[in-house]
Amino acid sequence: MSLTEQRPSAVSAALAEDRLGVPSIVFFVISAAAPLMVVAGSVPTAYAVTGVIGVPFAFLMLGAVFTLFAVGYVTMARHVVNAGAFYAYAAQGLGRTTGVATAWVALLAYNALQLGLYGIIGSAAEPLLLDWFGASPAWWVIALVAWALTGLLGLLRVDVNGRILSVLLVSEIAIVLLFGLGDLSHAAPSGISFEGFTPGSLFVPGVGAALATVVAGFAGIESSVVFAEESKDRNRTVPIATYLGIAIIAVLYAVSAWAQTLPTGPDGIVKAASEQGTVLIFNQASAHLGSTIATVGSVLFVTSSLACMIAFHNTTARYIFALGRENVLPSVFGRTSARTAAPTAGSVLQTALGLIVISAYAIFGLDPVTKLFFTFGAFGGLGLLTLLTVTSIAVIVFFARDPRGETAWRTRVAPALAALALGVIIGLTLINFDTVLGVAPDSAIRWILPGIFVVAIAFGVAWARVLKATRPKVYANIGLGAQAVSGGTK
Amino acid sequence: MGPSLVDDLYFVLHDNVTGHARLHPRLTSLGLAGAVLAELMLAERVTVDLASGQDRLWATAQDATGDPLTQKVLGHIIAEPQHPVGTWLLFFARTIYADVRARMVAAKLLNPPARHLLRQQPAAPVDTNTAAWPLARLNLAVQRRKPPVVMDCVLYGLLAATGCDQRVLWEHDPAFVAATTATLPVPLQRLIAQTKVAVGQAVISRR
Repeated sequence: MSLTEQRPSAVSAALAEDRLGVPSIVFFVISAAAPLMVVAGSVPTAYAVTGVIGVPFAFLMLGAVFTLFAVGYVTMARHVVNAGAFYAYAAQGLGRTTGVATAWVALLAYNALQLGLYGIIGSAAEPLLLDWFGASPAWWVIALVAWALTGLLGLLRVDVNGRILSVLLVSEIAIVLLFGLGDLSHAAPSGISFEGFTPGSLFVPGVGAALATVVAGFAGIESSVVFAEESKDRNRTVPIATYLGIAIIAVLYAVSAWAQTLPTGPDGIVKAASEQGTVLIFNQASAHLGSTIATVGSVLFVTSSLACMIAFHNTTARYIFALGRENVLPSVFGRTSARTAAPTAGSVLQTALGLIVISAYAIFGLDPVTKLFFTFGAFGGLGLLTLLTVTSIAVIVFFARDPRGETAWRTRVAPALAALALGVIIGLTLINFDTVLGVAPDSAIRWILPGIFVVAIAFGVAWARVLKATRPKVYANIGLGAQAVSGGTK
Repeated sequence: MGPSLVDDLYFVLHDNVTGHARLHPRLTSLGLAGAVLAELMLAERVTVDLASGQDRLWATAQDATGDPLTQKVLGHIIAEPQHPVGTWLLFFARTIYADVRARMVAAKLLNPPARHLLRQQPAAPVDTNTAAWPLARLNLAVQRRKPPVVMDCVLYGLLAATGCDQRVLWEHDPAFVAATTATLPVPLQRLIAQTKVAVGQAVISRR
């Protein structure tokens, strides 16, 4: 949809009124990243599981890598509009077969990230329920309540209202900063240490595991480009919102992860995180700032997790819808509910998977935080890394054919550096995947899980070949998203 | 002005007794916007400029349509010929729902919406039979697998584009939709395709 006309247009002006500005998009993408959930859930778990002290540095470093990645990514968004950005970019840059394979990896990664969240909600709500009622049901009961709520809202197509979202988000950020100040004023007797910010504290055995977790904390930020079509100015709004979003969460997470180490000192954080888990920062806050503020924080932890769940549920359901619309998935997934305009089939599929995973973990008595939230998070994080790498390469290839007036920095240098950095991170993550899973180094499962992505890629390639042979028309439209039904006009 | 495609689509998308909407308002609006453009195309006042490769709308005649709603729409298209169909659909969808309802109330096709017990009641059709007729025509055509008259082919195509066909028609037959749509002139086919695109994007959009 071009809005390139020179004279002022009543039509464009009227449509622009409904469009999103930078703040709205930043709110959308950061809330999908759910700051308090990462700070209270992922960070202590990362300290406990990996034993790496350099988590704050990891956030800053990955913030830089994401920024580098975003350079090419938002440039691509100016030229290719699609709601399922990753696979569309891969399809346009590297060919349709790669596009389908990428789509399958994306589906797997987003599903994993979404399902993992059911593991954290129990431990987020338990302390509150204990505090208020003196008792708390099992984690999976809480998870099922959240699951039912998410599934229902998904079918009714209720997105958390933008205004509620922004209030929640601002409170979350405020509380995270407040907790940080509390930690700062109660630093360990050994004094304030900046060890967490030194590269040396990150690049120790276990670095890959820490990186995978940290990547999952950034998940959601890549959704900024799907707003391109709905933004006030595609060429400016989306890039600014993306960079701003990355900068805000990288700095916020890094500072908060560092602040958590202050009361115990860097040497004590791993032990404290292992013992207290997700209540660590609330215990710290309670000791430093009083129980009221800690309780407010706990409530926000629950709302943050719920908002994140709903955001991921809807993102994934829409992704499935876009693929169904293109016939890359069976066309039943391209149907909508007439009443609510919700992508029904995608939403129901999500909900069904949620029930299976929660039930399996409940029946086998597996730990929801380390085995569900963390494992699925890291698995999804690995998928996300793969997607980012493939997308960076796709950007380079896409613009190599026709630079379309973009600079070499945007189309070649930055994406190449990003792909290189991301490739190294994937390598480190794979080396440490046993730590991520908490299994012995020679355990088969450490190769089986990453292997699932390889299988997904293989299936994607095979499926694309089948489409090409049997339904060439469908194959020709891969990567066009909702546009696919028009046979493509771009 | 003969029977109106817009009115027909409105009737199909609403309960013929109570007037309750069968489809989400955003998607209904997009469908009605498609219908008003299709009506102008059938009246040979607007066409799709296929040569541009962007599906731009182009006014081919400027004489009065004899109806304030279509006249207003035509006026916009004449004033700004640079926009593709998709942009026009979004633009007209903003206001068309209320405009169409008001026009149908004025034409005594719908009763004015009443307020009962603080709750806004939908505008119910004046005559149930009139309201049920367009859908009945489509159902019969699908049952007999016989393409209906041109206007009903467009109606069928637009209904399928909104995704509401599975909810209201007796039989769901994507192949028959494709076959009837293929009998239409290319500009109308493009309009129906673009309506389907707009509906898909509205579903994917997070708002």
